[in-house]
Amino acid sequence: MYQVTSRREFLRHLGLAATTLPFLGNLASLGFANTTSRKQRLVIVFSPNGIVPKNFWPEEEGEQFTLKRILEPFAPYQDRMLVLNGICDKIKGDGDSHMRGMGCLLTGSELYPGNIQGGSHTPAGWASGLSIDQEIKNVLQQNPATRTRFGSLEFGVMVPERADTWTRMVYAGPNKPITPIDDPYQMFAKMYGEMKDRENLASILDVLQEDLNKVRSLVSTEDRQLLEEQTTFVREMERELQQNQGPGIGHAIPQLELGIREENDNMPKISQMNIDLMFNSFQADFTRIATLQYTNSVGQAKMRWLGIEDNHHTLSHEPDSAEEAQEKLTQINTWYAEQIASLVKRLAETPEPGSSGTMLDHTTVIWTNELGKGNSHTLNDIPFVMIGGGLGFKMGRSLKLKNVAHNRLLMALAHGYGHHIERFGNPDFCGEGVLALG
Amino acid sequence: MNTIPRCLTTVRGSLLALGLFAGICAAGRAEEHPGRAVYVAHCASCHGDKGQGVEQSYPQPLVGDLSVKELTAYITATMPEGAPEKCQGADAEKVAEYIHHEFYSVFAQVRNRPPQIDLSRLTVRQYRNCLTDLAASFSWQGNWDDKRGLQARYYTTRRRTKENLKIERQDATVDFQFGEVGPGAEIDPEEFSIEWRGGVLAPETGWYDIVFESENAGQLWLNDMRLPLIDARVKSGDQTEYRESLFLLGGRVYPLRLEFSKAKTEKTASARLKWKRPHGTDETIPARLLSPNNFNYSLLVQRDFPPDDKSVGYERGVSVSKEWNDATTYAAIEFADKMMERIDEYAKLPKPGDQQAEQRAEKLREFCYEFAGRAMRRPLSGEQRALFVDRQFAATQDPFMATKRVMLLTLKSPRFLFPGSASEQFDDYRAAEWLALALWDSLPDELLLRAARDGQLSNQEQIAAQARRMVQHPRARAKMQGFFQQWLQLDHFHELSKSSRSFPEFDKNLAADLRTSLELFIDDVVWSPDSDYRRLLLSEEAFLNGRLARFYGVDLPENADFQKVNFDPENRAGLVSHPFLLAGLAYEEASSPIHRGVFLARSLLGRFLKPPPIAIAPTPVDLLPGLTTRERVVQQTAETMCAACHGMINPLGFSLENFDAAGRFRAQDQGKTVDASGIYLDRNGSEHRFTGARQLALFLVGNPEAHAAFTEQLFQYLTKQPVQAFGPETHAKLQESFVKNNFHMRDLFAEIATQSTLQARIIKEKNKN
Repeated sequence: MYQVTSRREFLRHLGLAATTLPFLGNLASLGFANTTSRKQRLVIVFSPNGIVPKNFWPEEEGEQFTLKRILEPFAPYQDRMLVLNGICDKIKGDGDSHMRGMGCLLTGSELYPGNIQGGSHTPAGWASGLSIDQEIKNVLQQNPATRTRFGSLEFGVMVPERADTWTRMVYAGPNKPITPIDDPYQMFAKMYGEMKDRENLASILDVLQEDLNKVRSLVSTEDRQLLEEQTTFVREMERELQQNQGPGIGHAIPQLELGIREENDNMPKISQMNIDLMFNSFQADFTRIATLQYTNSVGQAKMRWLGIEDNHHTLSHEPDSAEEAQEKLTQINTWYAEQIASLVKRLAETPEPGSSGTMLDHTTVIWTNELGKGNSHTLNDIPFVMIGGGLGFKMGRSLKLKNVAHNRLLMALAHGYGHHIERFGNPDFCGEGVLALG
Repeated sequence: MNTIPRCLTTVRGSLLALGLFAGICAAGRAEEHPGRAVYVAHCASCHGDKGQGVEQSYPQPLVGDLSVKELTAYITATMPEGAPEKCQGADAEKVAEYIHHEFYSVFAQVRNRPPQIDLSRLTVRQYRNCLTDLAASFSWQGNWDDKRGLQARYYTTRRRTKENLKIERQDATVDFQFGEVGPGAEIDPEEFSIEWRGGVLAPETGWYDIVFESENAGQLWLNDMRLPLIDARVKSGDQTEYRESLFLLGGRVYPLRLEFSKAKTEKTASARLKWKRPHGTDETIPARLLSPNNFNYSLLVQRDFPPDDKSVGYERGVSVSKEWNDATTYAAIEFADKMMERIDEYAKLPKPGDQQAEQRAEKLREFCYEFAGRAMRRPLSGEQRALFVDRQFAATQDPFMATKRVMLLTLKSPRFLFPGSASEQFDDYRAAEWLALALWDSLPDELLLRAARDGQLSNQEQIAAQARRMVQHPRARAKMQGFFQQWLQLDHFHELSKSSRSFPEFDKNLAADLRTSLELFIDDVVWSPDSDYRRLLLSEEAFLNGRLARFYGVDLPENADFQKVNFDPENRAGLVSHPFLLAGLAYEEASSPIHRGVFLARSLLGRFLKPPPIAIAPTPVDLLPGLTTRERVVQQTAETMCAACHGMINPLGFSLENFDAAGRFRAQDQGKTVDASGIYLDRNGSEHRFTGARQLALFLVGNPEAHAAFTEQLFQYLTKQPVQAFGPETHAKLQESFVKNNFHMRDLFAEIATQSTLQARIIKEKNKN
């Protein structure tokens, strides 16, 4: 018997939360979306506090380049990889670099004035626009050919239980941050809860019928009529439960390891569970857009499993000359790369359901950060590394761009989906048009 | 009712709802069926005048399932016995049709069946209450005493530490404009924070908008204290209003906490906690609905249900449907999910630890026995424990999964959904269940269940004692409110609006205030010590605030909160002249004696009115200029076929003609002195005359038909069954005791619960034998 250790954990175990439950009917949405057009997926993974440039950026530009330590986990996919140096988050205005780095990263829009006081600068509130993943999601959801059950899924790993500018990256609109789900059991419930409910209902039907028969025999003839009718409806429900098994989701409901508490030392485990769930959601075509946010801007993960006892953000303030700190930061970032590589590996090894090629051929995974570098808090040279063929960019390259506003890159993501917007976020930074990556 | 739409084509919005009244309009008497004469001549001597049979000749009742055609052929061939030639052709056809319709067919049999206590499912209101109280029975509850307002703690700076706590007090409401000066001398106006705590009483069931207004930041928790309902901790841009909707069950108190903070960068400070009640307008949550005490979470099931049958005037659970069955399934899942979120607390599980797994599983099983027993309103038998609980625990390794399944099973069981269905005897548990449904629309509480267990609900004294106790409970208050809501048809007045030309000041806010005014008045009378029905009708007072006072010509400061004031006692009297009813029972421009008359006839005098035989659009005011409303209505209903009902309706309604469409007093209509004289011809044929609201109210207070109507309607609202099903004397006895007991409404409430329990038990015993 498994060990349940808290209410929250219990919830995780059952994988259930109160939601509206279309367990009867409406089941088409559980299955695959229409698959006539080429399936395209986008995954955006965030890790915080900048990177270590000397151990991150390839020296070379072009198709021949050598991966530095941090990017080494991607070596098997180097030919399907695009490293973009020289992308800058130019959004100014209220909020410190961490806040703007986070809130403007995917929105390309200023933060509103507000009451959240950062380390320096003026206080700020939420971003003033929606994020690019939600922009694309809205387009996909409008079209029956690309519409999926969820449209997008927002994953997290160890995101603190507080909503503020540092903890939210995805926005449904101005002042509308979306909370990432960092609890794999909650995400499981979101994805499979209805199926579990059907299972539970089916399991009680025998006893229920037995009970109805018994009670029916107890009431008077006049009153029996009402219970007869009720019995008919219960039978009908049974039939519907049997018939509506749905068109299938392409995989068995996964079994989550039970009892993983949301605490720092479980981060590797939670990371893997959420990556598995994301992979499952792609297999079942529940969504074609996903984000995965590790901790938060200024995140303080303590990677003890790497033998690092320091907090990540604190370490990131150490100067370039602090060799030991730079080494630890390199290891931390390499660990993040390994996480992403594990997702890429599964995608690369799995044939695309109902299509040709692998799932990676239909997916673009992007790894990014709110800062270029932790100790300078620069918003220049924000890391953007892409892997996979989802958006049809020309891969296998290391590009050294010159001071390109990241709004132009965000536009390129939309264009990759055939959504040809001419501006995204602050139009002042879209002037030179979409960044050409094809 | 298909005549209604045309009837009301000239009337907008709010009055559509009143179609219910307008629809029940005049009807001519049905012509006698031509087959009756044939029946009397040839058949009645052997079959009896109603087909009941005649002892000496043909004792069996004349019932069956032949069609009219088949019956005609049979009669032509065989009837009257020995002389079939006497009834042939058209006569046979006519008489077949007559007996088929009157008593022969299955439909006629159902129609003619004497009323009886029918097996019913839980009504929607009962279902929701049962689930919420079921969950609450495993947890602690707060205490709604006579303290009003919220507990407030004021801190200097945004850090709420002990040292920074500068002011502790109770605030009546949260409605503050601190400006640049801050809330007090001890507090730095640059940066401070406040926390308000307490409970809020939801006066009715439905979706509320909860609104936090501030140029600063804050977080609001309501009911679920784990997650803020409104999270405005991040102040962003110029947003100053934060609004979330929330489903609440009426008559219950929910925990509330509001944290407010002002940052240095913000120049000024303000905080306001408002809501919009279902069908209401934005208003500051009033002090009378706030308490500074601690309250606990209520588990609410939000699932929508198809509405209950209300065809006989009160909600009852006499039918089931696929939609209803589906709704109970969804609701059961929702409930179980929400229970499982707090199962450690509900099931009092030991803290998790390496050694605790089995103990926790055992606790869960015990919880399940208890849970199913409380839901089914009697402890499980050994066999039921095995069926409902043990079998689920055996089917899965996971005790939490099993617990969830027990909940689903319990809530889908007929034992829960169809009260009384599983009790062969009307035993004490059944009595407890009956009382709880009658007085609370809910489950028996612990005391009731204990009384049932100890055999303490077996005689009248014991049952009456419980009923008296239960009437004091807030759940009884909620049920009583529900009764008045239905008796006075207040649901029909939700979109009350008036012509902006004639009544420019009659806006949404005024309409919402009117409703509050009536609710406060009814509450005040019903829950006062003498709880006197007569005061409901004769009171000289009303609850008005500044806005209402100005509109209705009473002297009060503009911003005055609701208070009891003398309200034109010469012209007005209690309920019948309350402006909410008067305005509700009127058109946008003109009063409507017909709506008011129908209301008086049905609700206050208990008269039955058939739907109108023809659809008639109300004559527009402009069509016959110069006529008073009274003159116009007389002309409009002058036709003979209208007279049968309008002869009763109009003269009742005319007595309120001194009140215009907004319920304001008027001495003149169209430049003529208002004629507010009215007449009522009672069931015995006696004529009663009265002029104006006060005389009308005096007449009602002294009239036995009105007493009977109030008793019957309250009875039916409480039990969801017709009073006639409880024996021929029950109604008269209740009415008599009501009058004798100085028209004490709360006592009548308890007395109905007691008597219906006793009678239901007697009838059940009789039917068994």
